Amino acid sequence: MYIKRYMTVNPCAAGPTTTIAGASELLSENNCRHLPIVDEETRLLGMVTDRDLRSACPSILTAPQALTPEQLEVAGQPVSRIMSRDIVTLNPLSTLDDALLLLDRKKVGALPVLTDDGRLAGIFSTRDLLQAYRRLFGLGERGSALISVRDDGRPRPLSRLVRVLEEHDIHFSRISRRGGEQGGSGAESGGGAVIYVRVNTFNLHAVRQALEQAGFIMLDQGD
Amino acid sequence: MVPEFQPVVIIDSPAYDNHDTGGGDHPETQERLRAVRERLNAGPLASCLKWVLPRPAAREWLLAVHDESYLFRFEEAVLAGQTWLGHQDNQICFDSFDSAVMAAGAGLAGVDLLETGVEKLVFCPVRPPGHHAERAMALGFCFLNNIAIAANYWQQVYDRQRIFILDFDAHHGNGIQAAFETSAAIFYASIHEHPTYSFPGSGYAEEQGLNGGRGATLNIPLPPGSGDDIVLEAMKEKIGPALERFRPEALIIAAGFDAHGQDDMSGLNYSTILYSRLGGWIRKWAGQFCGGRVLSILEGGYNPQALALGVESYLAGLAYNKR
Repeated sequence: MYIKRYMTVNPCAAGPTTTIAGASELLSENNCRHLPIVDEETRLLGMVTDRDLRSACPSILTAPQALTPEQLEVAGQPVSRIMSRDIVTLNPLSTLDDALLLLDRKKVGALPVLTDDGRLAGIFSTRDLLQAYRRLFGLGERGSALISVRDDGRPRPLSRLVRVLEEHDIHFSRISRRGGEQGGSGAESGGGAVIYVRVNTFNLHAVRQALEQAGFIMLDQGD
Repeated sequence: MVPEFQPVVIIDSPAYDNHDTGGGDHPETQERLRAVRERLNAGPLASCLKWVLPRPAAREWLLAVHDESYLFRFEEAVLAGQTWLGHQDNQICFDSFDSAVMAAGAGLAGVDLLETGVEKLVFCPVRPPGHHAERAMALGFCFLNNIAIAANYWQQVYDRQRIFILDFDAHHGNGIQAAFETSAAIFYASIHEHPTYSFPGSGYAEEQGLNGGRGATLNIPLPPGSGDDIVLEAMKEKIGPALERFRPEALIIAAGFDAHGQDDMSGLNYSTILYSRLGGWIRKWAGQFCGGRVLSILEGGYNPQALALGVESYLAGLAYNKR
């Protein structure tokens, strides 16, 4: 769950004297939207986004044919004039949850990741977050199916369920529980909690039999 | 009035019964085809059916779709007495390799009949099924990709360049998609239970083909519990227009019957009669684009009785002679 496994390492970055035109070109060439501004020792000084760059430039509609003197003037200014300096950062041992909470609270699209001595180690964007959770949820993994099981309210439902699956050699990669007294409506199981398991098998017939023999009820996903 | 049916060739082999998945609670059993044969021979279609034996698929056609090292691994596994290949789902016995080669051969024999004979409708009730099998991976009870092998053969031998594959099994045919997702000449369309819930976990609507094949893959995932209405709407609103645009020269159906409401291998809820409606749509499209020729190959369907009724219903819809 550590950011260092999911961040983009060696992100494109620029010095404070880079011009606005140069920064725009860098972002465009690298197909990214966030540019960390660093000193010679890669210590973070600020951040510039494609939105900052667009805000700094006069509208292209004012001079569609050629750059006006005003536009040329803006394009030659250093990015240090427009960069944000009050930056929230992550460190390589921040977790995915840390990043999610920060990205959400600060309403930004990416966070720089700094080493303990303030050097740029990477950048972590909302896209990286989506990719990370995609992997954690197993989206697109070959050969699995999601089943839901009614939590019957008896003690230790998760450990009992896991034991049944292991005893029948049914492999699974994720298990979670929702609803019941810990919150949620539990409407899918008629008021109780629901346990979701991603099983790595096609033989759902066997899964159903094993669970039913152990007293569990497998729910129809459409319910 | 007694309905009239066109002749249908059924390509079947005793070799399919030799593929033993070990009993117990494995749902891909010999009983499946026994139920289909019994039903077809006893039902109203019996007099229209012509039963034909397949031939084993020649190695070169297997190699067009699978790696040679995988074929060796599969063959060695059965000869060595192993009981599964890659995953315990994929149960094998000493005869499984030969059964699988004969299952792949049914499609080739079917293509030959459609191209050189008078027959227009061919159905291959084969075991093991094929649409989950990838180039070098057995998956979901499948070892050789029967449909992909047949499509490639059809294209290569008879120069049918534009082939449309429709898969109405409850599960996404990841193997067929993977075989042709960069090809613009072979269109893969699949209607299946949503991959968030269902095996194999692929077949999102976002998957539309890659590179030059972009646009020649159409995935229609259905929410669990979906029934006939939503399928018929998808046939009319999505599959039909895709066929109109693509204008195929050949039509192959991955006919799976595990979306039936009585089959517990999916959360879909199709009725038996839906399959005759599907057959009717396919008959219409085959007439419009492919001179009436259709090759259908069995995939899933794990409740033997529901499978047998579903196959009969599908073939009745396909072969119904409208006057």
